[in-house]
Amino acid sequence: MGVCTTLHTAAAAPPCHLRGFYQHKQQVLFYRNTAYTPRCGRAHSAGLAVRCSGAAGETVVIGLAADSGCGKSTFMRRLTSVFGGAAEPPRGGNPDSNTLISDTTTVICLDDYHSLDRTGRKEKGVTALDPRANDFDLMYEQVKAIKEGKAVDKPIYNHVTGLLDQPELIKPPKILVIEGLHPMFDQRVRDLLDFSIYLDISNEVKFAWKIQRDMAERGHSLESIKASIEARKPDFDAYIDPQKQYADAVIEVLPTQLIPDDNEGKVLRVRLIMKEGVKNFAPVYLFDEGSTISWIPCGRKLTCSYPGIKFTYGPDTYYDHEVSVLEMDGQFDRLDELIYVESHLSNLSAKFYGEVTQQMLKHSDFPGSNNGTGLFQTIVGLKIRDLYEQIVAEGASSPLKATTTKA
Amino acid sequence: MATSFFSPLSFPSVLTPPCQRSGLAGFHRDTMRIRREAAAGRTLTVRAMGGPKYMGTHTREKKLAEMIEEKVNDAKEVCEGDATSDECKVAWDEVEEISQAKADLRRKLMVEKLDPLESFCSDNPETEECRIYED
Repeated sequence: MGVCTTLHTAAAAPPCHLRGFYQHKQQVLFYRNTAYTPRCGRAHSAGLAVRCSGAAGETVVIGLAADSGCGKSTFMRRLTSVFGGAAEPPRGGNPDSNTLISDTTTVICLDDYHSLDRTGRKEKGVTALDPRANDFDLMYEQVKAIKEGKAVDKPIYNHVTGLLDQPELIKPPKILVIEGLHPMFDQRVRDLLDFSIYLDISNEVKFAWKIQRDMAERGHSLESIKASIEARKPDFDAYIDPQKQYADAVIEVLPTQLIPDDNEGKVLRVRLIMKEGVKNFAPVYLFDEGSTISWIPCGRKLTCSYPGIKFTYGPDTYYDHEVSVLEMDGQFDRLDELIYVESHLSNLSAKFYGEVTQQMLKHSDFPGSNNGTGLFQTIVGLKIRDLYEQIVAEGASSPLKATTTKA
Repeated sequence: MATSFFSPLSFPSVLTPPCQRSGLAGFHRDTMRIRREAAAGRTLTVRAMGGPKYMGTHTREKKLAEMIEEKVNDAKEVCEGDATSDECKVAWDEVEEISQAKADLRRKLMVEKLDPLESFCSDNPETEECRIYED
């Protein structure tokens, strides 16, 4: 049972329903206007208050392309944190589900759209990176349906068993994030995305991260890790890498240039490549938009330890598109470095001064919290929030216009 | 071949998050060592903090570790013949998939401190999988 808090727009009071109940015998639905499909976050644990979307708009869909696994979780956790709340697997469902749900956001792993399970791929001789192993028709159908406000039965690909499990029900959230290897591969799916991000990790950094991940495992050695990356590289370069050109924002992670020759892989150089002319997205800039800046914040006002921090900003072209590139090389050691840097960046879409710093501090235990990866992931999170709010505002204003002209 | 990678000597302490740079890195290493020793049959004297709560998750973790070893060996065998063949690619792709699955599970248990079977086991506490795992 529950009570709906309704937000009245001139069009109609949005209906609500209690999401958490759908799997059990009873479904309790409170509808005000059956023309709208309900779109709500999780019911609060008190069981009484239900938060509903007041927008007559559609679900906002974000695409995130990244290699290796879903729950490119650091990014996801930062993103869901910007919106508030923690993302968790669906309660009471398949424990091997790859889906994450928070109050506002649902994150879907695109591995769920594998058309071939592990045995099937072995038989056909295709890797998971190969488009032949994925059902793009189903992906398109379902993402489209969710965007239009309809719930779907999405398959589950079980990474442990390598099998396709029974589907799980996905209700349309306010924000849908599709994450995986091929969010921008299929043209039709691309056209559904309101914003897309590509996480581009350079070979050296990828190698370093995989060593970090795998060396403790029995069975793995430097050679096996290297061999695994090498073997996957042709398919990766052929099918995954080209998606970069379609992304609205690319986060490129490279080894640092601040430490000559020797690089333990600790310090990173991270570039945020932002496409110009994207609807509802204003690129972040340093000092003077459209000009070329090179900035070392460490000096008289701010002391940094070796190797310090270096920023650059400037316009560029990327795969024939106009882009703005903001780059950070080095790492933050102290809070005041972070706030200092934040105070000099513009178009952050922060709601208050210091919001970026606050978000970074909130998750200071996450990897990348002291360098550009954390910083740019946080900034992209704020940008997505801004984009979402703009889309919602657009959606809310049009029904109002319709009624006034009628009168 | 891997000519684009920098030498193995230059990346040991890679990209550890701030919290792991000091004591916590040691703790993580110790936890992994304890697990390896336990798996090798030696007695466990310390119960590591974090880690699987339910039997089912422990079994799954063990299984994934075994699979990694197995699949790495398979891949090495398959690739001996022709390192550019489809079979070789697929074999290493499987290794990657399992390695990532194991890493995801480890992260869930160690960092998020959430056993994936939590919600299933709160509804079905009597099943074998939901027995509380004790070392």
